[in-house]
Amino acid sequence: MRLLGQLALLGLLLAAPIFSYADSRISAYTLMSPSNQAMQNDMNLNPAMFWIMDGEALWADRNNPSNKACVDCHRDAKQSMKGVSATFPKRVQGKLLNLEGQINQCRTTRQQLPTLAYESKPLLALSTLIAYQSRGLAIAASRDSALEPDLQKGKLLYFQRMGQLNLSCAQCHDERAGLKLAGSVIPQAHPTGYPIYRLEWQNVGSLQRRLRNCMSGVRAEQYAYGSLELSQIELYLMQRANGMRIESPAVRP
Amino acid sequence: MSRSSRAVVTLPKTAKQGEVFEIRAIVQHEMESGFRHTEQGVRVARDIIREFVCTYNGKEVFRSELHPGIGSNPLFIFYAKAEQSGSLEFKWTGDDNYLTIVKQTITVL
Amino acid sequence: MNQRRFFITSLTTLSLSPWQSASATPSEAMQAMQRIVGNRPVNTGRIYFDLPPLVENGNLVAIKIAVQSPMTQNDYVKAIHVIAEANPLPNVVSCYFTPLSGKAEVSTRIRLADSQKVWALAQMSDDSFWRTSVDTVVTLSACTEMI
Repeated sequence: MRLLGQLALLGLLLAAPIFSYADSRISAYTLMSPSNQAMQNDMNLNPAMFWIMDGEALWADRNNPSNKACVDCHRDAKQSMKGVSATFPKRVQGKLLNLEGQINQCRTTRQQLPTLAYESKPLLALSTLIAYQSRGLAIAASRDSALEPDLQKGKLLYFQRMGQLNLSCAQCHDERAGLKLAGSVIPQAHPTGYPIYRLEWQNVGSLQRRLRNCMSGVRAEQYAYGSLELSQIELYLMQRANGMRIESPAVRP
Repeated sequence: MSRSSRAVVTLPKTAKQGEVFEIRAIVQHEMESGFRHTEQGVRVARDIIREFVCTYNGKEVFRSELHPGIGSNPLFIFYAKAEQSGSLEFKWTGDDNYLTIVKQTITVL
Repeated sequence: MNQRRFFITSLTTLSLSPWQSASATPSEAMQAMQRIVGNRPVNTGRIYFDLPPLVENGNLVAIKIAVQSPMTQNDYVKAIHVIAEANPLPNVVSCYFTPLSGKAEVSTRIRLADSQKVWALAQMSDDSFWRTSVDTVVTLSACTEMI
């Protein structure tokens, strides 16, 4: 009997490593009510659908000095943009760019147009259209070794205390994920669904808008839109969420 | 000169005689409630859709009166009974000369 | 710093709580229902009113209301009204049906300013009234935006 017990224990110990390989990362999608989940899943109900339609109109817009629309180089976004947002941020011609940065780079260099401001309707429309084409695919964070310094800086910022509340991202989203803050469950903070339609904003918004929200939440002075710091934090978050399924455009409370 | 915006209507292309079918209608509109304020404390004026009407071959099937308590990008899911082939018209009217009309046909077998 | 100012002023900025004006009271909600019903009696029940008891964000709350009815020329649901007790305005939406509707059922998305009781009031073709209510708790997400 004692031997049997010891064998059983051995079996359990051998089985344990298999369970520890399971991915413990979960999306905030699981924390939402069924009705909000349905709103996200069904593009017929998802408010972000209008931004996608606006994006489709802009994709074909030739009204610029170069007379070139996105469609002229990239053809049908449904094909060419598949998997694209999954790889951002990354190094493009020596510069760390997120998706918004890449869109603006195309606009300025190929279309001779001025950059679009963060959270402006046209930029959100284009980023939502592009990110939507990666829905259902896994985040494929770039393995470029040239990204290492930015990645380390992003990680440093993630673990660094900030603001009057003197909290780091890690303290809430790593150490206390699953616990409650003011009645809401703290998510693990994986950027799987950006740009999101946030019910709070009654609007679609970028990851940078959400990060600035977090910073104001701990009473820290927010990094500017398009700043290197925000891109570095984005980079770290995407690497941390590497392999998770993209839900863009997600709905969040 | 009226303002308009995108509307998406979903309904089946065909239906059997007497069948009750589902219609989904969503329109792009911020539904500014009139209760929000700017950072300076100035109230943002109300600007909402006031009425939505669905007619089927000219006969009213569904109508709603909207108030500021309806959320942005108003969505209605409702039903209609298939009687004759023809067209359904969806009309949204609201503040500041807002008007959007969408038409769709249905074949009743 | 200047960049931040520019982005802030280029957005329509809003106060943290969009419903700062005085909200309706239960009695105002009763008055709103009174205006619809007049002197006629109101029965309780018969309405299926699906409104989540716990709402994560009051800006967009999905609801479904259904009333069983043959929906014939002689017997159909004329209207369904939604009245909220603690919104700035009690009347949220009024939906009108005809026998051609086939079903007296509607889904839509409403705003809820606060935890409150929400009423669904149905008017039948014979001018009888039915009503039911749902109590809901409305929460706010943490780390809300500070401009």
